[in-house]
Amino acid sequence: MKTIAFSKTYSKRVVLNLPELELPEGQITAVIGPNGSGKSTFAKILAGIERADEKSPVLSGLSVGYLPQKSFPFRMSTEKNILTNGSDRARAARLMKALELEGLAGQSAKKLSGGETARMALARLLMRQYDLLILDEPTSAMDMESTLASERLIADYCHKTGCAVLLITHSIQQARRMAQQLLFLREGELIEQGETEPVLSAPTRAETKQFLEFYGI
Amino acid sequence: MGSSIRKAIELILSADPELLNILSTTAKVCLTSSIFALLLGVPIGILLGAERFPGRKVLLVLNRTLIGMPPVVCGLLFYMLFSGVGPFRHLHWLFTVKLMILAQVVLITPIIVGVMETFVADTAPALRETAKGLGFGRMKEYRLLINECLYSIFSAYLLSFARAIAEVGAVAMVGGAIAWKTNVMTTAIMMYTNRGSFTLGIALGLILLSLSLLVNIVLSVLQGRLSR
Repeated sequence: MKTIAFSKTYSKRVVLNLPELELPEGQITAVIGPNGSGKSTFAKILAGIERADEKSPVLSGLSVGYLPQKSFPFRMSTEKNILTNGSDRARAARLMKALELEGLAGQSAKKLSGGETARMALARLLMRQYDLLILDEPTSAMDMESTLASERLIADYCHKTGCAVLLITHSIQQARRMAQQLLFLREGELIEQGETEPVLSAPTRAETKQFLEFYGI
Repeated sequence: MGSSIRKAIELILSADPELLNILSTTAKVCLTSSIFALLLGVPIGILLGAERFPGRKVLLVLNRTLIGMPPVVCGLLFYMLFSGVGPFRHLHWLFTVKLMILAQVVLITPIIVGVMETFVADTAPALRETAKGLGFGRMKEYRLLINECLYSIFSAYLLSFARAIAEVGAVAMVGGAIAWKTNVMTTAIMMYTNRGSFTLGIALGLILLSLSLLVNIVLSVLQGRLSR
Protein backbone atom coordinates (compact mmCIF):
# COMPACT_ATOMS: atom_id res chain seq x y z
CA MET A 1 0.00 0.00 0.00
CA LYS A 2 1.11 3.53 -0.68
CA THR A 3 0.84 6.72 1.32
CA ILE A 4 0.75 10.09 -0.45
CA ALA A 5 3.46 12.67 0.17
CA PHE A 6 2.46 14.95 3.04
CA SER A 7 3.69 17.48 5.53
CA LYS A 8 2.70 18.63 9.00
CA THR A 9 3.22 22.11 10.39
CA TYR A 10 2.84 23.21 14.02
CA SER A 11 2.89 26.97 14.66
CA LYS A 12 4.55 27.68 11.29
CA ARG A 13 7.26 25.05 12.01
CA VAL A 14 7.34 22.09 9.62
CA VAL A 15 7.70 19.02 11.83
CA LEU A 16 7.17 16.41 9.16
CA ASN A 17 7.73 16.43 5.43
CA LEU A 18 7.55 12.99 3.86
CA PRO A 19 7.54 11.74 0.28
CA GLU A 20 5.23 9.02 -1.06
CA LEU A 21 5.95 5.80 0.84
CA GLU A 22 5.40 2.13 0.15
CA LEU A 23 4.28 -0.02 3.07
CA PRO A 24 4.50 -3.63 1.86
CA GLU A 25 1.61 -5.90 2.82
CA GLY A 26 2.51 -8.92 4.94
CA GLN A 27 5.67 -7.20 6.09
CA ILE A 28 6.79 -5.14 9.06
CA THR A 29 8.26 -1.72 8.40
CA ALA A 30 10.14 -0.23 11.35
CA VAL A 31 10.48 3.50 11.81
CA ILE A 32 13.55 4.58 13.75
CA GLY A 33 15.02 7.96 14.55
CA PRO A 34 15.98 10.21 17.45
CA ASN A 35 13.46 11.98 19.71
CA GLY A 36 11.59 14.72 17.88
CA SER A 37 12.19 13.17 14.48
CA GLY A 38 8.44 12.98 13.84
CA LYS A 39 7.92 9.22 14.27
CA SER A 40 4.85 9.49 16.50
CA THR A 41 3.38 12.34 14.43
CA PHE A 42 3.83 10.15 11.35
CA ALA A 43 1.98 7.31 13.10
CA LYS A 44 -0.83 9.59 14.29
CA ILE A 45 -1.37 11.07 10.84
CA LEU A 46 -1.50 7.63 9.21
CA ALA A 47 -3.96 6.50 11.90
CA GLY A 48 -6.17 9.55 11.32
CA ILE A 49 -5.65 10.84 14.87
CA GLU A 50 -4.01 14.00 13.51
CA ARG A 51 -4.41 15.69 10.16
CA ALA A 52 -1.68 16.44 7.68
CA ASP A 53 -1.44 19.93 6.16
CA GLU A 54 -2.89 18.64 2.90
CA LYS A 55 -6.62 18.20 2.79
CA SER A 56 -6.64 14.81 1.08
CA PRO A 57 -6.24 11.78 3.36
CA VAL A 58 -2.81 10.20 3.54
CA LEU A 59 -4.44 6.78 3.33
CA SER A 60 -7.95 6.16 2.16
CA GLY A 61 -10.32 3.23 2.06
CA LEU A 62 -8.24 1.12 4.41
CA SER A 63 -8.96 -0.14 7.89
CA VAL A 64 -6.20 1.04 10.18
CA GLY A 65 -5.46 -0.18 13.70
CA TYR A 66 -3.31 2.03 15.88
CA LEU A 67 -1.68 1.38 19.23
CA PRO A 68 -0.65 4.65 20.91
CA GLN A 69 2.42 4.91 23.10
CA LYS A 70 0.19 5.04 26.17
CA SER A 71 -2.97 3.06 25.64
CA PHE A 72 -6.04 3.86 27.64
CA PRO A 73 -7.50 1.06 29.78
CA PHE A 74 -11.29 1.35 29.76
CA ARG A 75 -13.03 1.16 33.16
CA MET A 76 -13.86 -2.54 33.05
CA SER A 77 -12.08 -5.88 33.46
CA THR A 78 -9.06 -6.85 31.36
CA GLU A 79 -11.09 -9.44 29.46
CA LYS A 80 -13.95 -7.03 28.78
CA ASN A 81 -11.44 -4.46 27.55
CA ILE A 82 -10.18 -6.99 25.01
CA LEU A 83 -13.72 -7.91 24.03
CA THR A 84 -14.59 -4.25 23.25
CA ASN A 85 -12.83 -4.83 19.93
CA GLY A 86 -14.54 -8.07 18.94
CA SER A 87 -16.81 -10.72 20.38
CA ASP A 88 -14.70 -13.78 19.55
CA ARG A 89 -14.07 -15.17 23.03
CA ALA A 90 -11.84 -17.99 21.77
CA ARG A 91 -9.59 -15.47 20.01
CA ALA A 92 -9.52 -13.31 23.16
CA ALA A 93 -8.55 -16.36 25.21
CA ARG A 94 -5.73 -17.22 22.77
CA LEU A 95 -4.39 -13.67 22.85
CA MET A 96 -4.57 -13.54 26.65
CA LYS A 97 -2.72 -16.85 26.86
CA ALA A 98 -0.01 -15.71 24.43
CA LEU A 99 0.50 -12.50 26.41
CA GLU A 100 0.17 -14.15 29.84
CA LEU A 101 -2.92 -12.19 30.76
CA GLU A 102 -5.08 -15.17 31.73
CA GLY A 103 -4.62 -14.61 35.46
CA LEU A 104 -5.63 -10.98 35.06
CA ALA A 105 -8.79 -11.58 32.98
CA GLY A 106 -11.22 -10.59 35.73
CA GLN A 107 -9.10 -7.81 37.20
CA SER A 108 -9.94 -4.17 36.62
CA ALA A 109 -7.82 -2.86 33.75
CA LYS A 110 -7.31 0.35 35.74
CA LYS A 111 -5.34 -1.64 38.32
CA LEU A 112 -2.89 -3.19 35.83
CA SER A 113 0.78 -2.23 35.87
CA GLY A 114 2.31 -0.36 32.93
CA GLY A 115 3.60 -3.54 31.29
CA GLU A 116 0.32 -5.39 31.85
CA THR A 117 -1.65 -2.49 30.39
CA ALA A 118 0.61 -2.53 27.32
CA ARG A 119 0.00 -6.29 26.87
CA MET A 120 -3.76 -5.85 27.36
CA ALA A 121 -3.78 -3.01 24.82
CA LEU A 122 -1.92 -5.14 22.26
CA ALA A 123 -4.30 -8.07 22.78
CA ARG A 124 -7.27 -5.69 22.42
CA LEU A 125 -5.93 -4.31 19.16
CA LEU A 126 -5.19 -7.73 17.67
CA MET A 127 -8.79 -8.89 18.17
CA ARG A 128 -9.69 -7.49 14.77
CA GLN A 129 -8.17 -7.69 11.31
CA TYR A 130 -6.80 -4.46 9.83
CA ASP A 131 -5.20 -3.58 6.50
CA LEU A 132 -2.57 -1.53 8.28
CA LEU A 133 -1.43 -1.94 11.86
CA ILE A 134 0.46 0.98 13.41
CA LEU A 135 2.29 0.27 16.65
CA ASP A 136 3.91 3.18 18.47
CA GLU A 137 6.56 1.70 20.75
CA PRO A 138 4.32 -1.22 21.75
CA THR A 139 6.82 -2.89 24.06
CA SER A 140 8.52 0.10 25.71
CA ALA A 141 6.84 -0.63 29.07
CA MET A 142 7.41 -4.42 28.92
CA ASP A 143 10.13 -6.68 30.32
CA MET A 144 12.23 -8.75 27.90
CA GLU A 145 10.09 -11.89 28.21
CA SER A 146 6.87 -10.02 27.42
CA THR A 147 8.63 -8.05 24.67
CA LEU A 148 9.65 -11.25 22.88
CA ALA A 149 6.17 -12.79 23.32
CA SER A 150 4.60 -9.62 21.90
CA GLU A 151 7.02 -9.55 18.97
CA ARG A 152 6.15 -13.17 18.11
CA LEU A 153 2.46 -12.36 18.28
CA ILE A 154 2.77 -9.28 16.05
CA ALA A 155 4.89 -11.15 13.49
CA ASP A 156 2.40 -14.01 13.51
CA TYR A 157 -0.54 -11.61 13.05
CA CYS A 158 1.23 -9.89 10.16
CA HIS A 159 2.07 -13.21 8.50
CA LYS A 160 -1.41 -14.72 8.91
CA THR A 161 -3.52 -11.67 7.99
CA GLY A 162 -1.21 -10.25 5.35
CA CYS A 163 -1.59 -6.77 6.73
CA ALA A 164 1.12 -4.14 6.60
CA VAL A 165 2.66 -3.30 9.97
CA LEU A 166 4.32 -0.01 10.80
CA LEU A 167 6.41 -0.34 13.94
CA ILE A 168 7.68 2.82 15.63
CA THR A 169 10.58 1.84 17.86
CA HIS A 170 13.55 3.21 19.74
CA SER A 171 15.15 -0.23 19.80
CA ILE A 172 17.43 -0.98 16.86
CA GLN A 173 17.58 -4.58 18.09
CA GLN A 174 13.82 -4.82 17.91
CA ALA A 175 13.80 -3.37 14.40
CA ARG A 176 16.44 -5.94 13.41
CA ARG A 177 14.48 -8.82 14.98
CA MET A 178 11.11 -7.88 13.53
CA ALA A 179 11.22 -5.64 10.49
CA GLN A 180 11.85 -6.44 6.85
CA GLN A 181 11.82 -2.74 5.89
CA LEU A 182 13.32 0.24 7.68
CA LEU A 183 12.65 3.97 7.58
CA PHE A 184 15.06 6.37 9.26
CA LEU A 185 13.58 9.78 10.16
CA ARG A 186 15.41 12.83 11.41
CA GLU A 187 13.93 16.26 12.08
CA GLY A 188 10.79 15.32 10.17
CA GLU A 189 12.60 14.23 7.01
CA LEU A 190 13.00 10.73 5.61
CA ILE A 191 16.77 10.28 5.57
CA GLU A 192 17.04 6.66 4.52
CA GLN A 193 14.84 3.71 3.65
CA GLY A 194 15.27 0.16 2.47
CA GLU A 195 15.54 -3.41 3.64
CA THR A 196 16.46 -3.61 7.30
CA GLU A 197 19.78 -5.47 7.21
CA PRO A 198 21.41 -3.48 4.37
CA VAL A 199 20.38 -0.16 5.98
CA LEU A 200 21.69 -1.24 9.40
CA SER A 201 24.91 -2.83 8.18
CA ALA A 202 25.78 -0.38 5.39
CA PRO A 203 23.91 2.91 5.74
CA THR A 204 24.39 5.27 2.82
CA ARG A 205 23.75 8.52 4.62
CA ALA A 206 26.07 10.10 7.19
CA GLU A 207 23.12 10.94 9.51
CA THR A 208 22.06 7.27 9.65
CA LYS A 209 25.63 6.16 10.25
CA GLN A 210 26.00 8.64 13.10
CA PHE A 211 22.69 7.56 14.66
CA LEU A 212 23.57 3.86 14.46
CA GLU A 213 27.08 4.44 15.84
CA PHE A 214 25.49 6.05 18.87
CA TYR A 215 23.67 2.74 19.49
CA GLY A 216 26.90 0.81 18.94
CA ILE A 217 25.81 -0.68 15.62
CA MET B 1 -27.45 24.83 75.02
CA GLY B 2 -27.44 21.25 76.36
CA SER B 3 -31.15 21.27 77.05
CA SER B 4 -31.84 22.73 73.57
CA ILE B 5 -29.94 19.87 71.94
CA ARG B 6 -31.83 17.34 74.11
CA LYS B 7 -35.15 18.90 73.14
CA ALA B 8 -34.09 18.95 69.47
CA ILE B 9 -33.32 15.22 69.58
CA GLU B 10 -36.70 14.60 71.23
CA LEU B 11 -38.34 16.62 68.45
CA ILE B 12 -36.67 14.45 65.80
CA LEU B 13 -37.58 11.22 67.58
CA SER B 14 -41.20 12.30 68.11
CA ALA B 15 -41.64 12.98 64.37
CA ASP B 16 -42.94 16.52 64.97
CA PRO B 17 -45.44 17.39 62.17
CA GLU B 18 -43.90 20.79 61.42
CA LEU B 19 -40.42 19.27 61.28
CA LEU B 20 -41.70 16.54 58.95
CA ASN B 21 -43.32 19.15 56.71
CA ILE B 22 -40.07 21.13 56.49
CA LEU B 23 -38.15 17.95 55.72
CA SER B 24 -40.57 16.88 52.99
CA THR B 25 -40.53 20.35 51.36
CA THR B 26 -36.72 20.33 51.50
CA ALA B 27 -36.57 16.86 49.97
CA LYS B 28 -39.01 17.83 47.21
CA VAL B 29 -37.10 21.02 46.31
CA CYS B 30 -33.61 19.58 46.54
CA LEU B 31 -34.21 16.19 44.92
CA THR B 32 -36.20 17.66 42.02
CA SER B 33 -33.78 20.52 41.37
CA SER B 34 -30.70 18.31 41.61
CA ILE B 35 -32.19 15.72 39.22
CA PHE B 36 -33.10 18.42 36.67
CA ALA B 37 -29.64 19.94 37.09
CA LEU B 38 -28.08 16.52 36.54
CA LEU B 39 -30.08 15.90 33.36
CA LEU B 40 -29.04 19.29 32.02
CA GLY B 41 -25.51 19.52 33.39
CA VAL B 42 -24.09 16.10 32.52
CA PRO B 43 -24.56 16.29 28.71
CA ILE B 44 -23.44 19.94 28.61
CA GLY B 45 -20.38 19.17 30.75
CA ILE B 46 -19.44 16.14 28.65
CA LEU B 47 -19.81 18.11 25.41
CA LEU B 48 -17.77 21.04 26.73
CA GLY B 49 -15.05 18.66 27.91
CA ALA B 50 -14.93 16.37 24.90
CA GLU B 51 -15.52 18.66 21.94
CA ARG B 52 -13.72 21.69 20.56
CA PHE B 53 -15.98 24.24 18.84
CA PRO B 54 -16.12 28.02 18.38
CA GLY B 55 -17.45 29.74 21.48
CA ARG B 56 -16.47 26.89 23.84
CA LYS B 57 -14.11 29.06 25.86
CA VAL B 58 -16.77 31.76 26.23
CA LEU B 59 -19.19 29.12 27.54
CA LEU B 60 -16.56 27.88 30.00
CA VAL B 61 -15.98 31.39 31.35
CA LEU B 62 -19.73 31.93 31.58
CA ASN B 63 -20.17 28.66 33.47
CA ARG B 64 -17.36 29.49 35.90
CA THR B 65 -19.01 32.84 36.52
CA LEU B 66 -22.33 31.12 37.20
CA ILE B 67 -20.67 28.70 39.65
CA GLY B 68 -19.63 31.72 41.69
CA MET B 69 -22.97 33.51 41.43
CA PRO B 70 -24.22 34.50 44.91
CA PRO B 71 -27.54 32.74 45.62
CA VAL B 72 -29.17 36.03 46.63
CA VAL B 73 -28.39 37.45 43.18
CA CYS B 74 -30.06 34.42 41.62
CA GLY B 75 -32.99 34.89 44.00
CA LEU B 76 -33.23 38.58 43.12
CA LEU B 77 -33.22 37.79 39.40
CA PHE B 78 -36.08 35.29 39.73
CA TYR B 79 -37.94 37.58 42.13
CA MET B 80 -37.84 40.36 39.52
CA LEU B 81 -38.88 38.03 36.70
CA PHE B 82 -41.85 36.53 38.56
CA SER B 83 -43.00 39.37 40.85
CA GLY B 84 -45.90 41.70 40.11
CA VAL B 85 -43.85 43.80 37.67
CA GLY B 86 -41.91 40.94 36.02
CA PRO B 87 -42.57 39.42 32.58
CA PHE B 88 -43.63 36.05 34.05
CA ARG B 89 -46.01 37.44 36.73
CA HIS B 90 -49.02 35.79 35.05
CA LEU B 91 -47.62 32.34 35.98
CA HIS B 92 -48.08 33.14 39.72
CA TRP B 93 -44.99 31.14 40.62
CA LEU B 94 -43.56 33.56 43.18
CA PHE B 95 -43.52 32.05 46.70
CA THR B 96 -44.12 28.56 45.32
CA VAL B 97 -42.01 25.41 45.40
CA LYS B 98 -41.87 25.48 41.56
CA LEU B 99 -39.89 28.73 41.52
CA MET B 100 -37.64 27.54 44.34
CA ILE B 101 -36.80 24.49 42.21
CA LEU B 102 -36.17 26.64 39.13
CA ALA B 103 -33.86 28.99 41.04
CA GLN B 104 -31.93 26.04 42.44
CA VAL B 105 -31.60 24.42 39.02
CA VAL B 106 -29.96 27.64 37.78
CA LEU B 107 -27.68 27.70 40.81
CA ILE B 108 -26.49 24.09 40.78
CA THR B 109 -26.43 23.15 37.08
CA PRO B 110 -23.13 25.07 36.57
CA ILE B 111 -21.54 22.99 39.37
CA ILE B 112 -22.41 19.77 37.55
CA VAL B 113 -21.24 21.23 34.22
CA GLY B 114 -17.96 22.29 35.83
CA VAL B 115 -17.26 18.93 37.49
CA MET B 116 -18.07 17.00 34.29
CA GLU B 117 -16.13 19.34 32.00
CA THR B 118 -12.99 19.15 34.16
CA PHE B 119 -13.08 15.36 34.30
CA VAL B 120 -13.91 14.82 30.63
CA ALA B 121 -11.36 17.35 29.36
CA ASP B 122 -8.73 15.37 31.25
CA THR B 123 -9.91 11.91 30.18
CA ALA B 124 -11.29 12.33 26.66
CA PRO B 125 -8.07 12.93 24.65
CA ALA B 126 -6.39 9.68 25.74
CA LEU B 127 -9.62 7.67 25.50
CA ARG B 128 -10.38 9.12 22.08
CA GLU B 129 -6.91 8.32 20.75
CA THR B 130 -7.24 4.72 21.88
CA ALA B 131 -10.84 4.39 20.63
CA LYS B 132 -9.97 5.89 17.24
CA GLY B 133 -6.95 3.63 17.04
CA LEU B 134 -9.22 0.63 17.50
CA GLY B 135 -11.51 1.93 14.77
CA PHE B 136 -14.48 2.64 17.05
CA GLY B 137 -17.24 4.98 15.88
CA ARG B 138 -18.38 8.11 17.70
CA MET B 139 -21.28 6.35 19.45
CA LYS B 140 -19.06 3.65 20.91
CA GLU B 141 -16.49 6.28 21.87
CA TYR B 142 -19.15 8.24 23.77
CA ARG B 143 -20.48 5.09 25.46
CA LEU B 144 -16.97 4.34 26.72
CA LEU B 145 -16.51 7.96 27.81
CA ILE B 146 -19.76 7.93 29.80
CA ASN B 147 -18.68 4.66 31.40
CA GLU B 148 -15.47 6.41 32.49
CA CYS B 149 -17.55 9.29 33.89
CA LEU B 150 -19.80 7.25 36.21
CA TYR B 151 -18.00 8.24 39.39
CA SER B 152 -17.87 11.88 38.30
CA ILE B 153 -21.60 11.84 37.55
CA PHE B 154 -22.37 10.48 41.03
CA SER B 155 -20.02 12.87 42.77
CA ALA B 156 -21.31 15.84 40.73
CA TYR B 157 -24.86 14.88 41.70
CA LEU B 158 -24.05 14.55 45.38
CA LEU B 159 -22.13 17.83 45.37
CA SER B 160 -25.03 19.60 43.69
CA PHE B 161 -27.50 18.03 46.12
CA ALA B 162 -25.34 19.14 49.04
CA ARG B 163 -25.22 22.67 47.61
CA ALA B 164 -29.00 22.66 47.08
CA ILE B 165 -29.78 21.48 50.58
CA ALA B 166 -27.44 24.00 52.19
CA GLU B 167 -28.59 26.93 50.04
CA VAL B 168 -30.62 29.65 51.72
CA GLY B 169 -30.44 32.97 49.82
CA ALA B 170 -32.33 32.14 46.65
CA VAL B 171 -34.98 29.88 48.18
CA ALA B 172 -35.68 32.46 50.92
CA MET B 173 -36.20 35.21 48.34
CA VAL B 174 -38.36 33.33 45.84
CA GLY B 175 -40.04 30.99 48.34
CA GLY B 176 -40.66 33.49 51.09
CA ALA B 177 -40.10 30.85 53.81
CA ILE B 178 -43.85 30.40 54.28
CA ALA B 179 -44.56 27.92 57.07
CA TRP B 180 -46.23 24.67 55.93
CA LYS B 181 -45.74 25.73 52.28
CA THR B 182 -42.27 26.84 51.18
CA ASN B 183 -40.22 26.60 54.35
CA VAL B 184 -37.13 24.43 53.86
CA MET B 185 -34.51 23.47 56.43
CA THR B 186 -32.17 26.42 55.92
CA THR B 187 -34.89 29.06 55.83
CA ALA B 188 -36.57 27.46 58.85
CA ILE B 189 -33.32 27.57 60.83
CA MET B 190 -33.06 31.31 60.05
CA MET B 191 -36.70 31.92 60.87
CA TYR B 192 -36.73 30.09 64.21
CA THR B 193 -33.36 31.55 65.26
CA ASN B 194 -34.67 35.07 64.56
CA ARG B 195 -37.65 34.26 66.77
CA GLY B 196 -35.38 33.03 69.55
CA SER B 197 -36.76 29.49 69.21
CA PHE B 198 -33.57 27.44 69.01
CA THR B 199 -34.95 23.93 69.48
CA LEU B 200 -36.33 23.40 65.99
CA GLY B 201 -33.32 25.23 64.51
CA ILE B 202 -30.90 22.90 66.31
CA ALA B 203 -32.93 19.84 65.28
CA LEU B 204 -32.78 20.94 61.63
CA GLY B 205 -29.07 21.78 61.97
CA LEU B 206 -28.40 18.27 63.29
CA ILE B 207 -30.31 16.75 60.37
CA LEU B 208 -28.42 18.94 57.87
CA LEU B 209 -25.06 17.93 59.34
CA SER B 210 -26.10 14.26 59.32
CA LEU B 211 -27.09 14.55 55.66
CA SER B 212 -23.74 16.18 54.85
CA LEU B 213 -21.97 13.30 56.62
CA LEU B 214 -24.09 10.78 54.71
CA VAL B 215 -23.28 12.42 51.37
CA ASN B 216 -19.57 12.24 52.17
CA ILE B 217 -19.78 8.60 53.24
CA VAL B 218 -21.63 7.70 50.02
CA LEU B 219 -19.02 9.61 47.98
CA SER B 220 -16.15 7.75 49.66
CA VAL B 221 -17.80 4.36 49.12
CA LEU B 222 -18.55 5.17 45.48
CA GLN B 223 -15.02 6.41 44.91
CA GLY B 224 -13.72 3.06 46.11
CA ARG B 225 -16.19 0.98 44.12
CA LEU B 226 -16.22 2.86 40.83
CA SER B 227 -12.47 3.29 40.60
CA ARG B 228 -12.14 -0.50 40.39
